[in-house]
Amino acid sequence: MMSLVGPVRRAAPVASRIVAALFGGYALAALGSVAALALPMSKPQAVLTGMLASFAIYAAAVVWVFAARSALRAWAGLLAAAAPLLLAAWSVW
Amino acid sequence: MHLLSFALCLAAFAALALATERQQHDLFGRPLPQAATHLLRIAGTGVMLLVLGVLLDWQGWGLGLVMFSGHTSLAAGVVFCAAIGLASARRRGKPAAISPASRRV
Amino acid sequence: MTTDNVKRERAQRPAGRGIRQSMSGLHIWAGLLMGWILYAMFLTGTVSYFKDELSQWMRPELAHQAELPDPALVAQRVADELGAIAPGSPQWSMRLPDGRTNSVYAFWRMAPGEAGAAPGRRAFGEAAFDPTTGGKVTARETLGGDFFYRFHFQFHYMPVLWGRWIAGAAAMFMLVAIVSGVITHKKIFIDFFTFRGGKGQRSWLDAHNALSVFGLPFHAMITYTGLVTLMALYMPWGERTAITTPAERQQLTAELNAFIQPGKPGGQTAPLASVADMVRQAQERWGQDAVGRVTATNSGDSTARVAVARGEAGRVSMSPQYMLFDGPTGRLLETREGVGAAAETRGVLYALHLGRFGDTVTRWLYFLVSLMGTAMVGTGLVMWTVKRRQKLSDPERPHIGFRIVERLNIASIAGLSVAMTAFLWGNRLLPAGMADRGAWEIHLFFAVWALTLAHAVLRPARTAWIEQLWAAAALLALLPVLNAVTTDRPLWHSVAEADWVFAGMDLMCLSLAALHAVLALRTARHRPKPRAVPAKARGGVIGGALEEGRS
Repeated sequence: MMSLVGPVRRAAPVASRIVAALFGGYALAALGSVAALALPMSKPQAVLTGMLASFAIYAAAVVWVFAARSALRAWAGLLAAAAPLLLAAWSVW
Repeated sequence: MHLLSFALCLAAFAALALATERQQHDLFGRPLPQAATHLLRIAGTGVMLLVLGVLLDWQGWGLGLVMFSGHTSLAAGVVFCAAIGLASARRRGKPAAISPASRRV
Repeated sequence: MTTDNVKRERAQRPAGRGIRQSMSGLHIWAGLLMGWILYAMFLTGTVSYFKDELSQWMRPELAHQAELPDPALVAQRVADELGAIAPGSPQWSMRLPDGRTNSVYAFWRMAPGEAGAAPGRRAFGEAAFDPTTGGKVTARETLGGDFFYRFHFQFHYMPVLWGRWIAGAAAMFMLVAIVSGVITHKKIFIDFFTFRGGKGQRSWLDAHNALSVFGLPFHAMITYTGLVTLMALYMPWGERTAITTPAERQQLTAELNAFIQPGKPGGQTAPLASVADMVRQAQERWGQDAVGRVTATNSGDSTARVAVARGEAGRVSMSPQYMLFDGPTGRLLETREGVGAAAETRGVLYALHLGRFGDTVTRWLYFLVSLMGTAMVGTGLVMWTVKRRQKLSDPERPHIGFRIVERLNIASIAGLSVAMTAFLWGNRLLPAGMADRGAWEIHLFFAVWALTLAHAVLRPARTAWIEQLWAAAALLALLPVLNAVTTDRPLWHSVAEADWVFAGMDLMCLSLAALHAVLALRTARHRPKPRAVPAKARGGVIGGALEEGRS
């Protein structure tokens, strides 16, 4: 049992980043695509704008997650980016 | 028009390639004077901009930009392969010569 | 405690050196995990730029068309035929022939309650029609070049949605690989024309870099636009939130394509007015060869509508431009030529991916740069094994991960060439009257591909590469011979008739055969450097590793 603790401890930050990148990144992009509805344009155009931009958000999130100095900072960054998007999305829910 | 554009792109990239220290070593065995390198860079960039202008004028923004991108990508690749070919031909011709390339490894 | 120190150190790398290394690691993993799928997507996508020509080649019974038939008459003929074979169909749509196709592809929705629509399958029919007679083409049943095209974004043997999701995931990995690759290789312009030949790992790195950098605008564009083509599937959340009523849905759809929703049929039959006249009006507006598609809803009913849509050539956008006519009277109801800014952006990005707007030279540019992209993915995959081989503690018995990558590389790269060529061989050899012939051509493709995987596992790795590359070279070189023997359109005939589709195919096969032969020869000639001295003692390797870390 003790012999597992070391390897798991070492793998945890990487695993955490992978989760942040794959799922956190997608969630951020999806959030962004909904937040786009708050833009000053007609609904169809806003919907399309949100979709178009989402992949850039996703890619940027993934790069951030692995560039951040620690897994904790990675998650913090995602949450920090999500906050304004959440606000915008809330306003059009 | 396509042929002309491509030929000009080839010339432009050849000039830019010659302006790099690496190729100068491989082809001439020594670096070219600064002035020559500057001239090559300016000429290469200038010709590429000329091609861009020609294509935009001929086909408009959308098609023109796409064609420019395609021509430059392909021309860069061709010049690159030519540089490799020339360099390896030179190396085969002079088996005893120590090219700077092998020393850098 | 040492573990805490190690953790702290690893957790706080100095920022400057850290990002290049972390991006390098990200690039390698993103590329490797999806590399084999991406290679297949890239190669089938590359080939798809000539899918219409490929489809022509795969239906040799259809004569070469020296002149384009009058689109208006063609539309009328096929419209009449569709009225006969699919009466009461709520919607049919045909694609008019252009300089690259010699048949009219049409599909139609089955009328409600019509027998023949198997549960779980889409209830529509499709067929290719002869432009001169309007009847279904009498040529061998085959999916043609459309097999590679569809495989490219939805694969096969699985529900199309799964395939599209996998393709989307792969594309996302590709996008990350591109961005991380650019960040890692910041010295792009300094190293622009550098190549170190014959130096094992460095040569592969330089080749990979060159292919990536020269085609960077294309690779970045094609990846992002690929995601855009299916963005409604991947990111539906905005649409789900904002579009709640059918009217809103119709408003959105109208920004994206020229489909007109069939209304409820009125029940009174009314023959369709002259479709040829409608097409002529469109030709007057956009140009003789600018009409692309004719779609009709509730054809034969009093509520019928016909939309004549502009073709894709000459405009870098897929946003809908169409003229809507009343079916029974032929009266022009509406001309739609503009969409909103975001929709137009999406239209442009979509068009950039499909590349249908270009002239022949532009199409060839697309093809060649896309081929560079394919080679970029391939060299990346091979480079992984070359690099890792240096680090193996015992080269004779590599660990399982290495072995898996090594064998998958062989089957995914060399094996795919063999399989794709086998598909074309199947097209020439399978009997014309065979049931489900089109499906069997595809089964053959996958069977051969599976065989190459088995071969890659059973043979020593280097031998497997060489044998498969030679197999591909041989199959490609002999394809024009097979064509000459099994059809009456050999190469010399095609050249004499200026039939550049057939001649081009034969010549392309010979060129690709030569390419594979060259690769086979180079692989055979390459001898991996013997490891006489253990790695630790050789300063050169450490020096090399440092240099690599810097680049």
